Amino acid sequence: MRVVITGASGYIGTRLTSLALKRGHDVVMASRQRPTVFSAPWVFFDLSSTDSVVLPAGTGAVIHLAASTTNSNRLEDGSEVVAAQRLIKSAQEAGAKFIFVSSQTARADAPTAYGRTKWRIEHGVLSAGGWVVRPGQVYGGELRGLFGMLAKTVRRMPTLPAFVPAPKVQPIHVDDLAEGLLRIAERGDVPPVVYCLAAPEQVSFSKFLAVIAKSRLRCWRGFVPVPVVFFNALAFALGETLWNRLGLGRLRSLFDLPVMETASDLRQLGLTLRPLRSGMHPSGNDRRRCLLREGRALLAYILKEPPGNAVLRRYIRAVEQLRGGQALGLPSAFLNFPILMSLLDKSAWADKATGMEFSWRLDAATVLAEATPSGAYRFLGLGREWGWLSSLLSVGNAIVCEVFWRVLRTPLLPLTRFALDRARGAV
Amino acid sequence: MTHDFDVIVVGSGPAGVSVAFPLVEAGLRVLMVDGGKQPGVLPPEADFLSARANDTEQWKWMVGEDFHALKKRDAVSPKLRVPSHAYVFEEFEARNQVVGKYFITVGSLATGGLSNAWGCGVARFSASEMADFPFPASELDVSYAKVSQRMGISGRVDDDMSDYFGLDEYSQPPIPMDALHTHLSEYYLNHRKKLNSQGFRLGRSRVAVLSEDIAGRQACNLSGNCLWGCLRHSMYSSTDDLPELRKYENFSELSGFVVDGLTRYDSYWAVDGQTIPADERRSITASRVVLAAGTLATTRLALKTLNHRHPVPLLSCPTAAFLLWLPRLLGTPRMPGLGLGQLSFSVNLQDTTTAFGSTFATTGIPLSEFVRHVPLRRRYGIDLLRGLLSSCVVGNVFLPGYLTAAEAELQSDASLSVTGKYCDAVEPLMDEASKKLRKAYWSLGAMLLPGSFTVGRPGGDIHYAGTLPMRESPSCGETSQCGEVEGLGGIFVVDGACLPTLPEKSHTLTIMANADRIGRQLAAVLAMESLHS
Repeated sequence: MRVVITGASGYIGTRLTSLALKRGHDVVMASRQRPTVFSAPWVFFDLSSTDSVVLPAGTGAVIHLAASTTNSNRLEDGSEVVAAQRLIKSAQEAGAKFIFVSSQTARADAPTAYGRTKWRIEHGVLSAGGWVVRPGQVYGGELRGLFGMLAKTVRRMPTLPAFVPAPKVQPIHVDDLAEGLLRIAERGDVPPVVYCLAAPEQVSFSKFLAVIAKSRLRCWRGFVPVPVVFFNALAFALGETLWNRLGLGRLRSLFDLPVMETASDLRQLGLTLRPLRSGMHPSGNDRRRCLLREGRALLAYILKEPPGNAVLRRYIRAVEQLRGGQALGLPSAFLNFPILMSLLDKSAWADKATGMEFSWRLDAATVLAEATPSGAYRFLGLGREWGWLSSLLSVGNAIVCEVFWRVLRTPLLPLTRFALDRARGAV
Repeated sequence: MTHDFDVIVVGSGPAGVSVAFPLVEAGLRVLMVDGGKQPGVLPPEADFLSARANDTEQWKWMVGEDFHALKKRDAVSPKLRVPSHAYVFEEFEARNQVVGKYFITVGSLATGGLSNAWGCGVARFSASEMADFPFPASELDVSYAKVSQRMGISGRVDDDMSDYFGLDEYSQPPIPMDALHTHLSEYYLNHRKKLNSQGFRLGRSRVAVLSEDIAGRQACNLSGNCLWGCLRHSMYSSTDDLPELRKYENFSELSGFVVDGLTRYDSYWAVDGQTIPADERRSITASRVVLAAGTLATTRLALKTLNHRHPVPLLSCPTAAFLLWLPRLLGTPRMPGLGLGQLSFSVNLQDTTTAFGSTFATTGIPLSEFVRHVPLRRRYGIDLLRGLLSSCVVGNVFLPGYLTAAEAELQSDASLSVTGKYCDAVEPLMDEASKKLRKAYWSLGAMLLPGSFTVGRPGGDIHYAGTLPMRESPSCGETSQCGEVEGLGGIFVVDGACLPTLPEKSHTLTIMANADRIGRQLAAVLAMESLHS
């Protein structure tokens, strides 16, 4: 399908363009300057221009991402709306779908001009039979957009404000949003209404910043409570213009975010969002990290000591090359205390396929652990004197431990199963 | 009449080299072709225990950089998981179009064939075992002698298995046993009479492993690397015979050529095939063609050329494995030693059948191979085996090949389908074997560990034979007493496919001796022909 994307060089636009190209769409980028990242065709499009927009022939969908977000060149409220109207008209004439990316703040009485502008454009889109998407707090990918600003702030500041009462955000990974937009463009069974795309559960803003610090920037930040009242008073004292010039304008809309009901929209699009922690990882997911934790736990369970890095890397490579590279999603307790694997080893699995996969991985970890010098000590008992007594003790000890875990297994089975289900549910 | 060679030998395994020697010695122009697969991963240089303790890169030969051991997790034998042997087995079934159904099919496209990864067990067939052969047993005597001396056999000692193996006159002294096997054989001497009356005999294994250096190969130094590959060439592989053959100017080789068809012309044959890895078609002609590609590949070529669409019977030995524990030797330190059979036994079953087997040290085998079968949680299974396994030996059992009901059949797409299962008699026989072995080893101070006696899957023995048996008066799908395929004058079968019977004992040496016999006869015939022309 021929898809025209405005704002294709922006934070969301680059990810959307790259995904659409990957899916084989014929992407046309519409922006003020020709983007250099992609070699896709380009047409001139300027939010402030009054010229009408000529869409390329055969355009199937227009995804309108372009928006004025910076304060310095904040357009007159009217021109952004006019530009959108022109674009809607062109799309109607071309018979193309029109998909508008709005904001969680879009409201007739939004505290920011940004939110009010979005509201007005939404109105025009819906009355022209177009689609509106309200994303939550977009994060992940490059450090750009609001997310980039927040991440840079977190990096700069040793302590961060924890607003009281805590504002709540509903995050969505930029790639998940791009996927959602593309699905609306691709599918014919999605009615033209407003779609709220974000995590159904709210996360406190401080928690969101803490995850940025921990998972994205790999640092730790302290928080100092700051009452919102104080913040508002400051804004009042400084006046809106100065406030906006300081770059704090968008922060105010944070305190005023409406709660979005997103579960049904996500279901409608068949979209499953990655968990915040996983998406916040620089690579966009924490697949490798999960695999690393799994490998470390299995190898430590077998070797009775923390495994070396080399054998751990081999485990990850083996699972990536032979088993698809996804971690099993074992509960944290099992990953932190490898001896608990005794509860999973030999049964405990309600789901047979997962049980078989677990035993494949345990076998692989055994083979890899054995093929190391420390494995030779552990498996063959090299490097120490073995008399019949110490051998007998080793054998006796093995049997006692086995009996212990066997006895423990049955009463703990419901708990084990519960933990497994919960951990897998989170994946 | 113009053809490229006098004889083309298809395959460079034990049968191929054995038939080639008498032919080249007679001055005939011989071409040997094979799949040409060559080793990739090298076995350890140090002895096994030092390599395990010190080599940080040991995973490369234990698991493989491509995780060979993990990919082959479900293969029947530890040997199929060894990275340094991967080349021996790779691509055989695909290139030779062999498909096993409920039957394990293993073969080789490597130079040297399956002898690159064999257990080195050797034995001579007795006169009664050769009753169904279409020639007197004595006709193989010269060949047994020649082949045994060429390959180098050790284990010469006067014991209760001397007659069973029948090889002492050609053998070197035995390779030293480890403490466990020494203990077993000492106890055996004390209980010999009683055990013999129960039909149990024990003696040194006769193996194709050097205890004394011969031509370019060094004697075993007990490095314990038998499973992984021996850089000293103490274990016989037919590749060790190739330098000797290459000394003859009338001997040529074409490696990396998989034969897929034979075409008859007026007075000669064309061997058609595909080169690998280039995948070019080639056709080479000769007066005679000798098939030594391994039973399965040879069978397919013969049946395809005959266009024989009926199933042919396939012999294969039912097998089992077990673990013996010697409590008195609990805590024995791990010592380097021979990783192949050290002691062998024969045990009479139901007064009509004999089972044969050998026992091996556990040191050179990864512990992961055992711990998978231990009914304990992995962590404690390792603890258990670490304490126990150094006082254990692992054993195998073979039953005669007729006890597997298997068939090979040429399919419409020219592939060979192999199906098979054990005969009903196998279960009670294995049952009896486990009971008798448990009892016999108990009197030797060893305990057959409960639950360890495991019957293998059909075909897992990799002793395939008898698809194109030699007969006095062969019918279609059989061969003459000199291995010539009935209906295909000029095509000879010299590998396991032409054996009329497959007893429980190791059959490789007999295949080689028979190939040598056929080679001599063929050389004589061709010499006569050239005299006449």
